[in-house]
Order: sequence, then C-alpha cells, then structure tokens
Amino acid sequence: MSKTVLSIDDSKAIRDMVAFTLGNAGYRVIEAENGLQGLQKLRSEPVALVIVDLNMPVMNGFEFIKNARSDAKGAGIPILMLTTESRPEAKAEGKALGATGWLNKPFDANMLLTVTRKLAG
Amino acid sequence: MEVNPAIQSYVIEARDLLAQLETMLLDLEVSATPESVDSVFRALHTLKGGGGMFGFPALSAFVHHFEDAFDLVRMGKIAVTRPLLDAALAGRDHIIALLEAGGDPERSDALAKSPEAASILAHLSAAANSSPMPPPPTDRTWHIHFRPAAKAMMHGMRPDLLLDELASLGTVEIHCQAQGLPSLADLDPTQSLLSWDVTLHTTQGRAAVESVFIFAEDAELTIEEVIEPEAEVEEKQAGPTQARSPTAKSPQNSPETVRVPAPKLDAILDQLGELVIAQARLNQIAARFGDSTLDGLVEEFQRLIGGLRDTTLAIRMLPIETVFGKFRRVVRDLSVELGKDVILETEGGETEIDKNVLDRLSEPLVHMIRNSVDHGIESEAERIAAGKPAQGLVRLSACQDAGEILITIEDDGKGLDHERIRQKAIERGILSPDATPTENQLAELIFAPGFSTAEKVSNVSGRGVGMDAVMTTITALRGSVEVMSRKGEGTLISLRLPLTLAIIDGLLVQLGGDIFVMPLIAVDECVEFDLTELRRDSGRTMLAIRDEMVPFVDLADLFNVSTDGVTRRRVVIVRAEGQRMGLVVDDILGQHQTVIKPMSPFHAALSDFAGSTILGDGTVALILDITSLLRGLLNGQTQALAA
Amino acid sequence: MSSNSNLDDGETGLEMSLIVRLNGESFAIPVRHVHEVIHEIPRTRVPNAGGLAPWLINVRGAVVPLVDVRRRLCMPPHDGDDGQIVVLDLPRGNESHRLALLADGVEEVMEIDPARIEALPLRGAPWPAEYVRGSVRRNGDLVLIIETESLFEPDPSSPPLH
Repeated sequence: MSKTVLSIDDSKAIRDMVAFTLGNAGYRVIEAENGLQGLQKLRSEPVALVIVDLNMPVMNGFEFIKNARSDAKGAGIPILMLTTESRPEAKAEGKALGATGWLNKPFDANMLLTVTRKLAG
Repeated sequence: MEVNPAIQSYVIEARDLLAQLETMLLDLEVSATPESVDSVFRALHTLKGGGGMFGFPALSAFVHHFEDAFDLVRMGKIAVTRPLLDAALAGRDHIIALLEAGGDPERSDALAKSPEAASILAHLSAAANSSPMPPPPTDRTWHIHFRPAAKAMMHGMRPDLLLDELASLGTVEIHCQAQGLPSLADLDPTQSLLSWDVTLHTTQGRAAVESVFIFAEDAELTIEEVIEPEAEVEEKQAGPTQARSPTAKSPQNSPETVRVPAPKLDAILDQLGELVIAQARLNQIAARFGDSTLDGLVEEFQRLIGGLRDTTLAIRMLPIETVFGKFRRVVRDLSVELGKDVILETEGGETEIDKNVLDRLSEPLVHMIRNSVDHGIESEAERIAAGKPAQGLVRLSACQDAGEILITIEDDGKGLDHERIRQKAIERGILSPDATPTENQLAELIFAPGFSTAEKVSNVSGRGVGMDAVMTTITALRGSVEVMSRKGEGTLISLRLPLTLAIIDGLLVQLGGDIFVMPLIAVDECVEFDLTELRRDSGRTMLAIRDEMVPFVDLADLFNVSTDGVTRRRVVIVRAEGQRMGLVVDDILGQHQTVIKPMSPFHAALSDFAGSTILGDGTVALILDITSLLRGLLNGQTQALAA
Repeated sequence: MSSNSNLDDGETGLEMSLIVRLNGESFAIPVRHVHEVIHEIPRTRVPNAGGLAPWLINVRGAVVPLVDVRRRLCMPPHDGDDGQIVVLDLPRGNESHRLALLADGVEEVMEIDPARIEALPLRGAPWPAEYVRGSVRRNGDLVLIIETESLFEPDPSSPPLH
C-alpha cells in the first residue's frame, strides 16, 4: 500500500506541485488549506508524513505543529515544514515545537522527493 | 488558455535567480570559495528543477550541462577558469532567452538548436575538459557517532531511515550503543536513548555524509575521517564538526520579504498623495475653528500620515546594488571586447533609492560606464608608458547626501582632452569659435546632442548618441550632472538625484493672484527685496547678498503676472548646478509637503515646471523646475550679454 | 475613434452625443468620451502655456488641463469665468487621457446617425475641416461633428519659453 502524505498549504500552486511530484513517485497525497483542516485530516487517517507551510490563514504552521505533537495521532509522525531561506529563526521556532525537518522555498521536485524519502522512507 | 499561476511564480523567481547568478559568477571570478561555488550550483539546480516542473524542458536540459560542470567544480575535480566563467555568463544570458520564450515549444526549440547555444555548450565542455582531469575516486573511511536528541522520535525522526541512507553511500559497519538504559519499569518509550557508531567506507566526501543528518541537528553527532597513513590529506578541515544546516550556508540572511507588483505600490502612493492633500485641507479648516480638541486630533492625523508617508516611500526604496551587478558584467564584457584590463570597484551599493528613479537610472549609468571604459581608460601599453598600473580602474560609488543621492563614476584613464572637445564642438556648431568656456563648461559639452570625442567610432559607445540621452534622463529625474576631468589623471562624473520622485517639500510663494511651489531643496534663503533694485537705470540685475553678487530675475516678468499695487516684494535665492540666482516674488507663504503630479502633454514642453500639485484649498499650483529654469535664464543672460 | 460608426458594429450605428455650445454654435461630442460635466471651478493659469490649454483645474484630486478650443475653431478666445466644464477621457495610444473642455453651456444628449452626417460646404464654413468633420441638421439648425482626435491633440511645437 502506498504511503500517505498530508500537504497543508494555502497556496494551491504549492499543493498542486506537491501532489504532482509525490503522486508520480508513488505516494498518496491528501491536502488541507490551513492548519485546522490539516489537524482534522491528520486525525481521520494514518499519515506517513506531513508537509506544512508556516504562513497560513485560520491556523498557521507553528500552531499546527504544536497541536499535532500534543495529539496521540500526530505524536511521532515526521513533519516537514516549508520555510523561507530568508527567515532562519522560523526554522528554529518550528524545530522547537517539534518539526522533524524543513524545506526551503523555493524548492524543486528533486529536493522535495529527496527530503520526503528521507523522512517518510 | 489560462496561465498557471505556479508558472508565473517560477518565471519571476527564475528572473531573480538569474540576476543573482550573474553576480555570483562575477564573485566567483574574484574568489572561488567553496561557498560561492555552492551558491552557483544551487542556483543552477533550482533553475533546472523548476524548469522541468513548470514546462520549460529546453531550459532545464540546457541548464543541466552547467549544473554538471559546476558539480565537477564543487567536487574539486575541475577548477574555476576564465573560459568556464565566460561560457557560464554567456549561458546565463541564453537561459534568460529560454525563459522569455515562455515555454513555447517552437521558440524554445529554435533557441536550443541555435548556433549560439551550440557554441556556448562547446565552450563549456572545452572548459570543463581542459581543466585538471578528475582524480580517480578514492575510497575514504568515515567514523560517525550519532545520538539522537531524547525527544527526536516524538518529533518524527526515524533513525532507521538515517542508517539506511548512510548504508546507501557505501559499505557500513553499524554498532548500536545501549549503555545506561533505565530499567524497563522506568523506561519512557517515547524517548530516544540509543546511540550509534558507524564506520562508513565510501567514495563520497564530507558533504554527502553531513547531508544524511541534515535534519538531525539537535543530535549529538561527530563525523571524522579515518585517515590511513598513506592516504593523501585532502580535507584540510578534517576533525569533528557539527552537522551544518543548509540555512547556515545560505549567502543571504535577509529578513522575510513579500513580493508586491509595482502598480499596487504606485496605487498606494497615489492614495497617500490624496491623503496628504486632504490633510492639508483639514489643517486649514481646523485653523478656522480654533477648537483645541479638533487641533489635537488634526495633529495626531498629521503625525500618522507623516509616518505612513515615510513607510510607504521606504517600501519603494531599493538598494542601488540591484543594478550594480549589471555594471560589473558590462565592464567585464567590455574589457574582453576591447582587450583592456579594467576592473570595476563599487561602493555604497546599500544606498537606497526610489524604485522609479532606479529603473530609469540604470541605462544612463551603463552608458557612462561604457564610456569610461571605452574612451577613458587607455590601452595597456599607453598606461604603462604613462607610468600607471596596467589594469584600469572604474569606480562607481553611491551615497546619500542631504536628501539627495550622489552617484559618482570615476576612472583613472586619460581624462578629457579639453582642446579636442573645443575643436569638435566648434566643428559641430555647438560652440562659437570666439567663446571662452571654462574647462568644466567644455567638459559638460560631452553631454550636448550629437557630440562624440572618440577618434574612431567603436561599436561600444555608439556614435555620439547616448551622452545627450543621459543628460535628458537625468534632467527628467530632476537630477543634475557635473563633470570634472584632469588630463592624464582621469574623469569624475557626479550625478545628483532626488531620493524620490513622488513627494517633495515645497516652498509656497505668491505672485500676483497665483501661487507657485519651489522645491525646498533648491532654496538657499529668502530675503527682503528693495524695490529700487528693479528700477536701477544701469539695468543691473545683480543683488549683493552679504559679500556675494547674485543675479536675479523677476518671476512676474517671466510669467507675465501683473504686480501693480504690490509694495513689498521678496527674493528667494535658489541654487542649481552650483549656480545661485534670486527669484523675485510677491510673498512667501510657507512650506507645503507636495505630491508631484506630472505635467500633461499639453504642457510637457514647458520646461520651467516640474509638475503640479493640489494645495490645501483644492486649487492647483505649479511646481517650478529650478534646474531647468536657471539653465534657461543663465543661457538667456549670456546670449543677451553677447548681443 | 473618429469613425465612430465602425466601433458600433452590430448596433444601430447611432452615436449618443453630448451637444455643447461654443460661441453660439452647437458641437457634438460622443458620450463615450465624456467623463462628467462640472460647473466652473477655480482655475490655475499656466504661464507661457499658449492659448490651447491655458489653465489647470482640480477634478476630484486629479490635475487636469483645461482646454479652450475656440482659437482652433477660429473663434475669439474665452474671457470671463462663466461657463461649464466638460471632462473628457480620450484615448491616446494605449492609455486614456483626461482633459477638460471649457464650453459656454451644455444643451442636450442626442443620437446622431452617421448616415446623416453631411460634409461641410467648401465655402462659408469658418471651421477648419481638420477639426470639424461635418454636420447634422437639428430643427432647422446645424450641429457640428468634431474630430475629437485632432481637436484635442496638443500642439506639436514647443511653445516659446521665456
């Protein structure tokens, strides 16, 4: 059975890109538009990796990570945050809240795939 | 067909990246540090990846060759050489063309099959192959000690995947260390308590090993190369190091930025302009009421709008550096083309200037720099004969100076030949044969339309078009140009430009029933005017201001305004291009922050006015263009004197 | 823009026009160019601007040149502060260009059938053909059809400076 990746981003372009790249590599990708929707998806089915943007309306990426880590369904799941190279402190903040890794935007398909394999196997 | 927004973002990002790439390549020429090679490689990698994803396969395929070449550089297998950089810079230009083709298969295909592309790739492969042949990959041995942070498992870290990844690099011996574990009853299953020692035999270098642990920076981690006695020592910085994160290597650590289309900024500025005008009206109305509560509120508004204005203008300010990169390339290409060794030094790149000014400034600057390299800097033989260093120098510097931007372009070349300029100017009918201009006035003739001092026309600096266009642009930006040149020593061109085009501080003056605005920056002082000066029989139009004689002109004459019945008048002493002049007006009304509205096509030919603005009472006032006004007046005066 | 019947392809070909009064004559301006009609407001004289656009006015926060076309139409220039101002948006290249026309008054809006436009007689018409394309009859009177493109074109030559 293919592994499920949850992609949380308010940008449809990014979600499309993640779905396309990982979909072609054999992952199953489910999507959410913000942190709150993401939490609902996370609780509804087993997920092998979460890819989460930091800047989002309703519930941002940091809040999502914090909530996911305090939830039984999200405790040990690898969480990859999408950061911008220009704000190094965001990475540290995300790490402190429990993110597993990060990917600097802009990223390309190869980087996304490499990092996904690294975290989700 | 609808344009995919993701493609649009890629194009924008790719353009940025290509601009950075040029700077990176030029940096590489100066010093090829591992970091600078790495940034080039990453830029190429990002371009290639995105190109493949967003429908630019031809671009992706083309960049791939460069990525390969720089990967070899990164691995130390080939050196950074001039031919490699030549090919890379030409390649970068070709990538722009591919990007502009917009993924159109026919155009991209034509570009990919063009002789230029073939020539660039041929040069690239020649450059890559002529460099030292790659040494055969040697097997290296690494010892890795790894203990994940206690909470790592909670955070989704998978030690099994990391160990698998290490194993994929070569052959591994893995030892798990389980000492010091608590009793089962006390064991917290969510904590990570194990550590691993791995011996890895691989052809890969340190970077590849470190990248396995890229997300495990909280872990206890040492990576040491086990050096066999006979093995060559390649890694100078061998020894334990912490795993480095990619962000630590990132070239820029600037704060987060948001991309905003320029028209939106312009719209904000327009609205802000209206707000400033409405504020001025509010002030006037409040002054009539004399209500202290209202006054307080008005003051608060004034403060807030002032802040908003500064912030908005600051948003539009860009460091001038963004165009300096382009100039380095210009100088580099020119020195190759002309066979001169010239370097460009830049200073003050962090100086910020309004985007609209910057956009229009870049072309004139390129032209002046080209001119310096082409006409200013002598051939190597001439330089050595003159006792100068063989390498020519062009220095570009920018700084902020009292509300203006001062940009200078300086070269250490042969300087202007004033006598030659004089002859040329007479030949071209720009200068009268019996005129006696100063050296600086002669120097400024190089900006006159149709003037060129080059002995032979090169395809670099054009045919005498350009320097006059430079002057036109700078004047349109409300700036000024000064030239200083010493024969044999070099030429210095200074440009003075306003920080922004949108808002200025103005002085309101009354003339008859009309109100005019003078840019405060051009105003030196205001003095009372003795009416008898206007009626001097000698026809003298000079005023004694302290020890200096200053020419003056009555604006009422210039603008056909009747001043009948005005008993007291004033003079505003203004300054432009180093000249002082008195402008006689009826009264000085005060200061006014002014949003400049451009002149309509009906009035564009009136060079006395820089634009117009709306005053607090809603009426329109014209803003004087002091530079242009003085230029017209002083020329008129010399003509009048000659007649 | 001057051959407005082509622009109205598929429609009736009728052009809604605003009739303005200048020195006792009626002129038709296509309504699609008219932004608004305002009453006389304070004007700012532009020194040395010449007779075509001698003033600037403030139209809702925008500075707009106030144009007096009487000279182009061989009429004595306007004096006094009375009259009405017709704010026009005219295309110039790809942009729309705003200007204000000084008129003695605004009469009405009427439909003009391009088929009924008559050429001006060669003799007896004081208006240059460059600026007036023809006329239509209205209750025994004439309404002149202006060439908006050329009538509101800024002077090509630079006005004299000092």
